[in-house]
Amino acid sequence: MYLKALHLRQFRNYQDQFLEFSAPKTILVGDNAQGKSNLLEAVELLSTLRSHRTSRDRDLILAGESIGQVTARLERDTGAVDLAVTLRSNGRRTVSLNSESLRRQFDFLGILNVVQFSSLDLDLVRGAPERRRHWMDALLVQLEPVYAYILQQYNQVLRQRNALLKAIRKAEGRGDGEIGRWGDRENEGDDFSQALDREANPLATLDQLAFWDAQLALTGSRVIRRRARVLQRLAPLAEHWHQEISGQTEVLQVSYAPNVGLAQDDPQQLQTEILVRIQQKRVAEQYQGTTLVGPHRDEVEFAINRSFARQYGSQGQQRTLVLALKLAELKLIEEVIGEPPLLLLDDVLAELDLHRQNQLLNAVQDRFQTLITTTHLGSFDAQWLNSSQILQVQAGQLMPPVR
Amino acid sequence: MPGVGPKTAQRLALHILKRPEAEVKALAQALIEAKQQVGQCSICYHLSAEPVCEICRAPNRDSETICVVADSRDVIALEKTREYRGKYHVLGGLISPIDGMGPDQLYIQPLIRRVSQQKIKEVILAISPSIEGETTTLYVGHLLKPFTRVTRIAFGLPMGGDLEYADEVTLARALEGRRDLD
Repeated sequence: MYLKALHLRQFRNYQDQFLEFSAPKTILVGDNAQGKSNLLEAVELLSTLRSHRTSRDRDLILAGESIGQVTARLERDTGAVDLAVTLRSNGRRTVSLNSESLRRQFDFLGILNVVQFSSLDLDLVRGAPERRRHWMDALLVQLEPVYAYILQQYNQVLRQRNALLKAIRKAEGRGDGEIGRWGDRENEGDDFSQALDREANPLATLDQLAFWDAQLALTGSRVIRRRARVLQRLAPLAEHWHQEISGQTEVLQVSYAPNVGLAQDDPQQLQTEILVRIQQKRVAEQYQGTTLVGPHRDEVEFAINRSFARQYGSQGQQRTLVLALKLAELKLIEEVIGEPPLLLLDDVLAELDLHRQNQLLNAVQDRFQTLITTTHLGSFDAQWLNSSQILQVQAGQLMPPVR
Repeated sequence: MPGVGPKTAQRLALHILKRPEAEVKALAQALIEAKQQVGQCSICYHLSAEPVCEICRAPNRDSETICVVADSRDVIALEKTREYRGKYHVLGGLISPIDGMGPDQLYIQPLIRRVSQQKIKEVILAISPSIEGETTTLYVGHLLKPFTRVTRIAFGLPMGGDLEYADEVTLARALEGRRDLD
């Protein structure tokens, strides 16, 4: 796919900027805080309907304005598509496809595919597990847009269940049982509810918990299965690239370390397993007032030459690893979608040495349209500069580069 | 007010100012009377000006079938279809711990009493398939099953909807709820 043109209106620090992409590579050069990353953020928004920098639409709109808009023309094998996202400082955003506004925003996902690689990603290996889960989820949404819905459902169950566990903890602490007044004792035989009976009668709440457990198991199992599947497909690609970039000296192993997992992929058994684990953690969960079992505690593990990259990897190894992951993402999306996605390199190229820059260049060639931001062109390999469209970014305006 | 933005609100306010005083008084009176008179039906908890609502009083309706809904709005929507001839039960919301809504805040206990004490052939759960709706459906269904047949409404393709335009989630649900051709 090829992004032909991008139009930003009252978006971040852009008043009204039209940009036509005239080469497979576009380099945006400029000082800090001029709007380079804002432009990439606009492309990210069109792709994922999210920004990794903010969750509030208000932040995306030019200061003092109430409405902002990003539109783009995308060429895909199936034809040209016009994409538009309209943001409002007070109100819901609207999205449209070929000038037709979409009722369900999920339908907008998966049309423009991008792989993002920013200097923040260099933290992926060492950062908190949450970073790796986000990375995995973002990739999944690109490949299987319905996953956005699945994950949202799981998170909603999680929020509700946590609220309930907190309510239980509070009621037990007080011991007045204000929250429970329900006579129908279904679970008389259950040891735990009997133990609680001493206090008061929180049966209604505990009864209710069983249903949230079931919902957690159902929605959680969907998340786990899709995550397992995507990593299974990504791992060989990443492992291949890591070996290439390291000059055959390092062997990478990417593995999914789910909080609850199964050797074989069976949805029914997985749900049962989650419920068993919840039973085991019941006391701890009610004591802490939060959910301790489920894919919100998943981890992705990277091992280089059989030792964990998170603890033992050197800076150089971690860079190689992240680069390998990004290249693997490109290939996987291309495989699944059938068209090469865009690559967004935000302030990261200068962080890679010439060897790794060249590896990236060779992998990308002209097949993957690439948007690059940088503060100066000095650290670039000459190959990158040739045949690139170079633009200067200054205070929310694009202009030909100063030579 | 729900569903009314600032522009519409302004238009409504200006419209009221332009009308004759008598008409405005009548409107105000109607609002006050509605507030004073409309309460809940003591049987099904639907909105009602009488202690027992019209639907619960209707002799020609099937009193052995109860349709359970979250809100009075749902009763109105179902009544518009004129396809359902049974009685209703309004829960008054959905189970949602975030909002402090537990089973005790809903009219679940009166429903169990109705079903256990009367001859009820079927309870139809007509609750939205949101996370909260699903949990409420499971919860209520579980409590009712010892007493009667419990069913839930089907979810799937909208009428006049084209299969190819349906989203994946709706299609998956429709597939899940498939049934034998009769």
